[in-house]
Amino acid sequence: MRLEVQALETGYGKAQVLFGVDLGVEAGELVALLGANGAGKTTLLRALSGLLRPWKGRVLLDGQDLKGLSPARRARLGLGHVPEGRQLFPLMTVEENLRLGAAFLAPGREKEGYERVYALFPRLAERRRQLAGTLSGGEQQMLAIGRALMGFPRILLVDEPSLGLSPRLAEEVLLALKEVARGGVGVLLVEQNVALSLEVAERGYVLEHGRVVLEGPAQALAQDPRVREAYLSL
Amino acid sequence: MELLLQTFLNGVLMAGVYALVATGLALSLGVVGIVNFAHGEFLMLGAYLSYLLFAFCGVDPLLSLGLAFLAAFLVGGLTYRGLIRPVLRAPELNQMLLTFGLSVFLQNLALLLFGADTRVVAPPYQAATLALGPFFLGAVPLGAFLLSLALLLALHAFLTRAPLGLAMRAVAQNRLASGLLGIEAEGVYLLTFGLSAALAGVAGVMLSVMLYASPTVGFLFTLKSFAIVALAGLGNLKGVLPAALVLALAEALVSTYVPGGGGLVEAVFFLVLFLALVGRAWRGA
Repeated sequence: MRLEVQALETGYGKAQVLFGVDLGVEAGELVALLGANGAGKTTLLRALSGLLRPWKGRVLLDGQDLKGLSPARRARLGLGHVPEGRQLFPLMTVEENLRLGAAFLAPGREKEGYERVYALFPRLAERRRQLAGTLSGGEQQMLAIGRALMGFPRILLVDEPSLGLSPRLAEEVLLALKEVARGGVGVLLVEQNVALSLEVAERGYVLEHGRVVLEGPAQALAQDPRVREAYLSL
Repeated sequence: MELLLQTFLNGVLMAGVYALVATGLALSLGVVGIVNFAHGEFLMLGAYLSYLLFAFCGVDPLLSLGLAFLAAFLVGGLTYRGLIRPVLRAPELNQMLLTFGLSVFLQNLALLLFGADTRVVAPPYQAATLALGPFFLGAVPLGAFLLSLALLLALHAFLTRAPLGLAMRAVAQNRLASGLLGIEAEGVYLLTFGLSAALAGVAGVMLSVMLYASPTVGFLFTLKSFAIVALAGLGNLKGVLPAALVLALAEALVSTYVPGGGGLVEAVFFLVLFLALVGRAWRGA
């Protein structure tokens, strides 16, 4: 499975945010999408999963143009999205949240899904019957990722999973995503924590003012003087 | 003492139907986000359907229950498609004016078709009572109570077990996330609105025997349901049954103990609504 973005332009109202973004994610690789606040990272993910309509350009999933498809249709094609702010169902238990992740995307694979998620995040298994709204920030993030994994996506978009987490917990979550990618899922990771995400990612893109200004293997990016100066403050 | 207990019994039996109607209202409010002033008109539809089937075809109201469920579901679904969906993104005031207008329209349509007379469905068992020691339970109110309870339990099981039921709660809590999990909110809204109407339709059949069918019978229940939903807390389905119990008991007490109470009963919900809103404002401050 391959996600391909070609010359994508979009924005909100009259304010254009993305000015022709090209990008690709293959199955089994973890790709980091880096950039400062307001560079358009979240906007790009929203356009990919259908929450925002592109103005120009194309989004292709295995060559199929996703134009005009609702977020639900895209999800059923195998495109998962862990959105900004987690967006859990706060009045449902952890298990109900997970069950909803599978109910319409991978019905019949629920048992397999639970096993995979609980193996990845054992803490969620302990909190199975707790309401999602009462979880700690880190646990909520794990649940948001776990819920998306329950649908067995083949491409997974993850928006700022380390936001509000302690450095240790952030690392735990990113390593879990690395594990997911090893399992054959293509992961597109948006992160503010540039150092950490370049450690786990294979490749990366740097977005500035709605344009990709730099791309390449993660190691090369980590060595790039522009990245080091702007994002790693070295 | 016996009078008090008998009063309580009457109140409890009425609470089931109240809860059924109010749960329907709470569903469309909580999931679709529509304040449906025409909710009671689905009830009126069920009541007249029961009356027509009984008067012209001799169909027992027990059989009409299923038919009314389906008919109201259908009408509710069509109402959603034709009227509600176009105004989903409109300002709330416009939505309310629309549902209020629909309510007035349907009431007058019924007035035109059936006249202002109240119509009662009187199956042979209508006046049957069960003696329980010194107390008397009407067979029909008891049956309606048990049936309402069974329907509410079935709804609860549906909302917690069935994928579609889970989807309804999911859309109510977070529409964005449910879309990303493959749930089309559009379909869920349609289902919810139909189900909401169906619950009212079934209650209408019960009320055609317990009370009567008339053009305005539904609107009274719309208002009472709003009082119950306000008392339960918007979007809180579990609170509906206790809130319905409060209203029904208050009405029963007023009817028994307040001189001339029979005429005041229909004003009790105003008091309940008033106290619920004041209580909420006071606690929220």
